Amino acid sequence: MSLFNGLNISATGLTANRLRMDVVSSNIANANTNRAELVDGEWVPYRRKTVELSTADASPFAKHLSSAMGQTAAGGGVKASAIREDQTPFPVTYNPDHPDADAEGYVRTSNVDPIQEMVDLMSATRSYEANVTAMNASKSMFMKALEIGK
Amino acid sequence: MNLFPSSIQKMEQALSTSTLKQRVHADNIANVDTANYKSKQVNFQQVMEQASASRMQSYRTNAQHMEFQSGRGASPVTVNHNTTMTPNGNNVDMDFEMAELAKNQLWYNAVTERINGKFSSLSSVINGGR
Repeated sequence: MSLFNGLNISATGLTANRLRMDVVSSNIANANTNRAELVDGEWVPYRRKTVELSTADASPFAKHLSSAMGQTAAGGGVKASAIREDQTPFPVTYNPDHPDADAEGYVRTSNVDPIQEMVDLMSATRSYEANVTAMNASKSMFMKALEIGK
Repeated sequence: MNLFPSSIQKMEQALSTSTLKQRVHADNIANVDTANYKSKQVNFQQVMEQASASRMQSYRTNAQHMEFQSGRGASPVTVNHNTTMTPNGNNVDMDFEMAELAKNQLWYNAVTERINGKFSSLSSVINGGR
């Protein structure tokens, strides 16, 4: 049923954007976390995480059939393929009194930039809303199809 | 005399094409933040032409002769590789997608109304105009 596929595609968009919001929330919550993990007996601050998105195929069979016939298949929406850690260096501040300060008195803090996170959050929210709109359109089309022959 | 006129089949084809269009635009909207995603489009006219062309039959004098194949035509779904909207290589134009979604929905409703009209006139004939 193709119309249900439309709903499923929008649902993948909703799921992916919800995950993006979750990851952004985690980043903001950990913006000041100095002790995220213990590496070689030393505390490493929290690294900012990002979601990597990629396209999802409707079904492997449909994709191979279409490509064998030289045609383009309608896709199956989006999926989160990976959650990556931002490898930008940690900002350092001079604070010798801090318990996590190194021998020279510098403290490494997490590389989360709250402004960037807010921008990502807005982007995820807008994409989520767009997927809701597409889903409602599919739904009302389906309701209309049920009226045929009444 | 055919009870169901061929226009009903045409409209059925129009509805299923409209459904495909809905899927493709939903896919574009879902992938609005996917890096290097290129937007897809459905060529409505092409799908309708292919649907009517596929009714052409080959003249076969032997059972082993092949039928005409309508499968290997141009793809109804095309990918737009030429533009870029964002630095990550994505070219989904959200305003365009939303407009197409609304247009497609109205179109679907219009065709559904027309099918209903056809059926109700048929049933009026069956009931002897009552």
